Amino acid sequence: MIFVNDLHKKFGPNHVLKGVNCHIREQEVVCVIGPSGSGKSTFLRCMNGLESITSGSIVINKHTLNDSKTNINLVRQEVGMVFQHFNLFPHLRVIDNVMLAPLRVSRISKEEAHAKAETLLAKVGLAQKMDAYPGNLSGGQMQRVAIARALAMDPKIMLFDEPTSALDPEIVGEVLTVMKDLASEGMTMVVVTHEMGFAREVADRVIFMDQGLIVEEGSPEQIFASPQHERTQGFLSKVL
Amino acid sequence: MALYFGDLLPFSSLFLEGLWTAVYITLIAMLAGSAIGVLLYLGKAGARRALRLLCTGYIEVIRNTPLLVQLYLIYFALPAVGINLGPVWAAAIGLTLNNAAYTAEIYRAGFESVPYGLREAGKALGMKPAQIVRYIVILPATRNVFPALTNQLILLFLASSIGSIISLPELTNATMTVSNTTYRTIEALTVGGLLYLAVSAVLALASKRAETTLFRWAVSGHV
Repeated sequence: MIFVNDLHKKFGPNHVLKGVNCHIREQEVVCVIGPSGSGKSTFLRCMNGLESITSGSIVINKHTLNDSKTNINLVRQEVGMVFQHFNLFPHLRVIDNVMLAPLRVSRISKEEAHAKAETLLAKVGLAQKMDAYPGNLSGGQMQRVAIARALAMDPKIMLFDEPTSALDPEIVGEVLTVMKDLASEGMTMVVVTHEMGFAREVADRVIFMDQGLIVEEGSPEQIFASPQHERTQGFLSKVL
Repeated sequence: MALYFGDLLPFSSLFLEGLWTAVYITLIAMLAGSAIGVLLYLGKAGARRALRLLCTGYIEVIRNTPLLVQLYLIYFALPAVGINLGPVWAAAIGLTLNNAAYTAEIYRAGFESVPYGLREAGKALGMKPAQIVRYIVILPATRNVFPALTNQLILLFLASSIGSIISLPELTNATMTVSNTTYRTIEALTVGGLLYLAVSAVLALASKRAETTLFRWAVSGHV
């Protein structure tokens, strides 16, 4: 589903990704963990073209991202993204946030978009907040709307960039629950996270990144119970 | 010294005509200037280097020279190259050109104030750049600079008084005429000043009102 081959990313002289290789299969839930500055968010952002690739390649569902013939907007329709800071559109009601892309990108009818948005908001437990503006929601509610908004394009893959890092501890759970449901429905998910509990429970595979490279990867049991690499051990001893 | 406003009464229509001239010159300059300001901003933010330099240069020249000098040039220097503009046209054009530079900078501030994350969210949903601007960026940008824009309108209205030096028959000009005719200088200036104040206050209140109705979604501070 996603093939990443020798991915390099430089920001000026700053070499952030130094040759990342990985393959993400359909319906797989992959959690990417690692210290800040390890390049995990950049890696995720490369997967829908929010960051350009310096060298190497990413192929998603047969679309090669760094090929000038690829229409990046078509790829993005298949890859949903949820951001750390939600990035909801403040001037649009919750329902309109969810409807915007189906209306303007997929060009489905207003009735259809509305029905779809209603279903998705019900799914994330926010049917009663349809007419509210994002500014009147809590962080957890905003992030659930953001998930519904991404799902409205019927993506085949969902990318999560530290989706709970900006939330108060007591409301992290409501977002993780929605993500768990999504995983159990068979969504392909790549999640950059600091929630080790979530990674342990939900991930099919955990990737540990440090200094721009994948240092170690494996099942959650492997990574959390018996990490092989010294840096993985060091990181986990600090966060667990 | 006794103040006596009675002497001004025969000139009330002159005051009101002056006020009306000030108002309509301001409206013309605001509407036309805001429109030209959009073009200037687009040129300045655009990809073409020559256009970018041209627009930036224009904005900086206008913002770093006195409006008074700009009006003098239009009214007194243009005739030397065969362009004779009456006071109304000279003032309208001068204020428009001046206002365009300021509004262009306000638009820039507005667009830059919208968090980049909103654009990224639009991109991630597969929206095209023009759609992102139209559906995602414009409203929050407008909201963030709405007070600056209405403030610019008030400043422009007050700046229209400079038109008096090129004999535009606006409020300050009328005030001076009344003062010179009646020798009631303090009274005339008081009335003229209060008329400016009244219109500015109405504009300020109306903008505050418009802000709360237009941007009901903005519950707190910046977005």
